[in-house]
Amino acid sequence: MLEIKDLYFSVDEQDAQSVIHTRTIVKGVSFTFKKGKFYAITGPNGSGKTTIAKLIMGINPITSGSVLLEGRDITSLGVTERARAGIAYSFQNPARFKGLTFRDMLSISAGTTDESELVKVLIRVGICSLDFLDKEVGHALSGGEIKKIELATTIARNPKVAIYDEPDTGIDLWTIGPMIELLKRERDENGATTIVVSHNEKFLQAAEEILLIRDGQIMHVGDLSSTTPLLQDLDFCNWKTICEGEAYARCHR
Amino acid sequence: MLDVIDRELLKGVADLEGIPKGAYNIRKNGKLLARQVSANILIETNEDNTGINIIIKPGTVNESVHIPVILSQADLFDVVKNSFVIGEACDVTIVAGCGIHCGSDKPEGHAGIHEFKIGKSSKVKYVEKHLGVGPGSGKRTLNPVTRVFLEERAHAEMELTQIGGVDNAQRTNEADLGPGSSVLITERVMTDGVQRAVSKNTILLKGEGSRAELISRSVIRGDSRQDFYAVLEARARSYGHLECDAIVMDNGTNETVPSLRSLHPDAELTHEAAIGKIANSQLMKLMSLGLTYDEAVDRIIRGFLR
Repeated sequence: MLEIKDLYFSVDEQDAQSVIHTRTIVKGVSFTFKKGKFYAITGPNGSGKTTIAKLIMGINPITSGSVLLEGRDITSLGVTERARAGIAYSFQNPARFKGLTFRDMLSISAGTTDESELVKVLIRVGICSLDFLDKEVGHALSGGEIKKIELATTIARNPKVAIYDEPDTGIDLWTIGPMIELLKRERDENGATTIVVSHNEKFLQAAEEILLIRDGQIMHVGDLSSTTPLLQDLDFCNWKTICEGEAYARCHR
Repeated sequence: MLDVIDRELLKGVADLEGIPKGAYNIRKNGKLLARQVSANILIETNEDNTGINIIIKPGTVNESVHIPVILSQADLFDVVKNSFVIGEACDVTIVAGCGIHCGSDKPEGHAGIHEFKIGKSSKVKYVEKHLGVGPGSGKRTLNPVTRVFLEERAHAEMELTQIGGVDNAQRTNEADLGPGSSVLITERVMTDGVQRAVSKNTILLKGEGSRAELISRSVIRGDSRQDFYAVLEARARSYGHLECDAIVMDNGTNETVPSLRSLHPDAELTHEAAIGKIANSQLMKLMSLGLTYDEAVDRIIRGFLR
């Protein structure tokens, strides 16, 4: 359904001496996401999880490799065309706007300004208050509110592939359960291939398949039971091993 | 009566499809075109024949006055001094604005000097739009001056907009606030090409418990330049906030100078100012919803200037 083949992503970085070094963040990732399945991408911070997600959406330019959606090569397409082809992306830290309301965003996303259509989306995502539609998507919104808006605009696209980058950021604990139910329902009812980038165990439990990323590569693909031991081995927070002891002052900065 | 150009200008500056309802005064090329008074709103030419006096009776509510100015005569620089006296306990909307249509290489301009005295406990909404259109290359200049004096507990909301097509603008806004009064001024200016706009603002919080907020939204396209200066001065226990935002596109330049001056120990004054390009994260978000780059820019700018 969605196939990524031998994806590479590199960036040029300048060091203190102004010498340019090429750093490769994603190193030859290949995988096929099947229609209507729920995937989680997890791994340590800086392993390249979000970068892979952004390569699929076209937000980061692919250095080499290819992306195929339903057999069609979309590697050369930009964000707009990929969105129109059926990929939707929910940002970890959603952009805030001056003067654009939730209604504006939802209308763009759903392709209609018809309020009854917008209300259908609100019902789907479980936003009860109509007043919420006319809130500015600005800095006055709480972290939880803006994530709800992000979720709604993603779902309103009726995507073939929905990518959620850390959807629980800023969301209170008791909202995560309903959010997972929502994503599962969207998958079941609309057949959306769902890809969640997350550290959160609840999303890993919900996923049918987990891709464990380490150092820009897929280290393991499997269900929670086969992934958990590897996660425990990985030093997700290696503070304990390196820093438990006053000797390593650098860790206490 | 109104010709096609007049109608286009009136639509642009005052959202009017034709002659408005209620009180109005339409000035065309420096002369009175049409006037209508109402039982509560008196409009008269001032003594030295340099503009009009608009007198609104105390207790007038839910009424509006339209006073658009339209210009389509080459080589004319029209200066008009309008004075608004709003009685106590009113709730009215005043729609002003100037549209210039330039069809030749000769310059055209207008300076509207508007002074408001807003009586005790009155609420006034003032909407002013400036617009330049037409195929001519003549310079279009608009230099508005808006002065507002607020008596006790009066409230004014002022929306000042320069939408486009104005080559040169020297804008002056002044507010003088009495006890318990409040003002919200929103200025939106878009420039393009080699246009130039300067906005100078002075707000004096004189009365105990007065509140002022000034929001400036600038979009600077092409090689245009906009400068924004604001002084917020508190002489009593009061509250004031300045918010100045400029989006720079292409090679536009901008200077923004917000200034706070507190002459009272219990004054609370704040400001925020930002100049920058459209954030990449905003563009990415809208493009991920299927908009093209240009469509995304357009939506962001339209929202910003809303």
